[in-house]
Amino acid sequence: MTNLSRRIQVPKTPGESFDPDRSASDLDRSQALHLREALFKHLQMVAEALAIDPRSLETESEFSDYARRVTAILHPHVVKAATK
Amino acid sequence: MTQGLGQLKRIVVLMMENRSFDHMLGGLRATDVRVEGLAGDESNLDAKGNPVQVQKVAKFQGQLDKHDPDHHFPGVDLQIFDGNKATGREATMKGFVKSYYTQTNDLKSSHAVMYYFDPKNLPVLIALATEYVLFNGWFSSIPGPTICNRAFAHYGTSFGQISMDMLYVRKSLKDKILTVYERMRNAGHSAKLYYYDQPSSTMEVLNLLQRQPQLFGTFEQFLGDCKTASLPEYSFVEPCYRDHYGDDGGAILASDQHPDHDVREGERFIATVYNAIRTNPDLWNSTALLIVYDEHGGLYDHVVPPLCTPDGYVAAAADTMTGESFAFDRLGIRVPAILISPWVTPGTVVPGPEDKINGRIFEHASIPATVTDHFLLGDAKRTVREQKAQTFLDLLTDRMRDDKDCITFDL
Repeated sequence: MTNLSRRIQVPKTPGESFDPDRSASDLDRSQALHLREALFKHLQMVAEALAIDPRSLETESEFSDYARRVTAILHPHVVKAATK
Repeated sequence: MTQGLGQLKRIVVLMMENRSFDHMLGGLRATDVRVEGLAGDESNLDAKGNPVQVQKVAKFQGQLDKHDPDHHFPGVDLQIFDGNKATGREATMKGFVKSYYTQTNDLKSSHAVMYYFDPKNLPVLIALATEYVLFNGWFSSIPGPTICNRAFAHYGTSFGQISMDMLYVRKSLKDKILTVYERMRNAGHSAKLYYYDQPSSTMEVLNLLQRQPQLFGTFEQFLGDCKTASLPEYSFVEPCYRDHYGDDGGAILASDQHPDHDVREGERFIATVYNAIRTNPDLWNSTALLIVYDEHGGLYDHVVPPLCTPDGYVAAAADTMTGESFAFDRLGIRVPAILISPWVTPGTVVPGPEDKINGRIFEHASIPATVTDHFLLGDAKRTVREQKAQTFLDLLTDRMRDDKDCITFDL
């Protein structure tokens, strides 16, 4: 049995920190371009996703939707993430 | 071999985003002089020539929101060399504020890259740094951005890339240098790369591109594998890279600590990973957890990046955009790195370049080097850079800490 006698409190992150409309970073943009490149390996499955130009995306929410769509094709055995 | 090393069955690496050592941990020097942090009088000149000292006023969010501090190769070159282009130039770490001013065009906001955290505001990272092993000399592998630095953690090289271009797969195939995950799998060992979820996905797209889904899992799967003590021998964990909505419409915050994501959420993510291992006795006694950041994110650090063994590749002057080619013969800017295990000596500080005799230099190639040396006895095709990289498992000792002496986080 683990003894958990030395405990440290970790503050919660305020809800107002959540901003899916924040402008995307270079990291977001690069990942989306790379994901799009990977899609070329799966052309028949992904014609619809390829119609999206990652350079037209602006917000984290838009990039999230894009990454969700692409990753679902590339890694289908996924477990859904927990939400707050 | 020490008892701690003999007991070791798993290595877990959590790589966070874009914060320098001084920015996150520099404040520790005030209470522990062994930590190569900030004395408080370090400074840069701003674009008008005014001295800007480091200040313990970093906020969780909102100071770096208008412009993400430059961390591409030319920007980092300016930060390190302060615009000096001469042959034999000396690294001064005096160009951070000027670099940020090129983005902000505002003097006051350009000072924000000199801000660092009050240790009391980072209860998770500071607790882990002071309870386990803190590295004074862990550097990003390249004075450049995320993708090429993360490549060093996966491959021990970026195949000559110094940018965000991840499509070095052709060189990977040509040179037959595999990721540490492929090396492990091919030798009959287990390894997995856990990304957060589909909307965040992985930054190691190349193995997705090469159709190797067996190498990947999600963070939910990581937590499940921790509960059942079925973690692979090597795990690499990626945080959540962006704020997004879950399938049920609930908010999921970015936990990578990339500016301007809330640092507190990253603290909670680090604590979650730690707790998942710490609270399962079948894992805790036989797992080493390394927490490290991929690069400095344009934020100030006072330690000059040292020279290193070249990896055999050269980035052309046209790619560096500095007028000079880059031979991968010096490291990037220093980042936080902490090794966690009940087998390490509590409160260890591994000296870095400040100690000319005992100092040790680590970088991201140290990760595949350590995993390959431990599990595969070094048997894999690797760059000279990785072969020469320091490994860190010698820090596991013969003495295991009493369970009640090891901290746990309340989330």
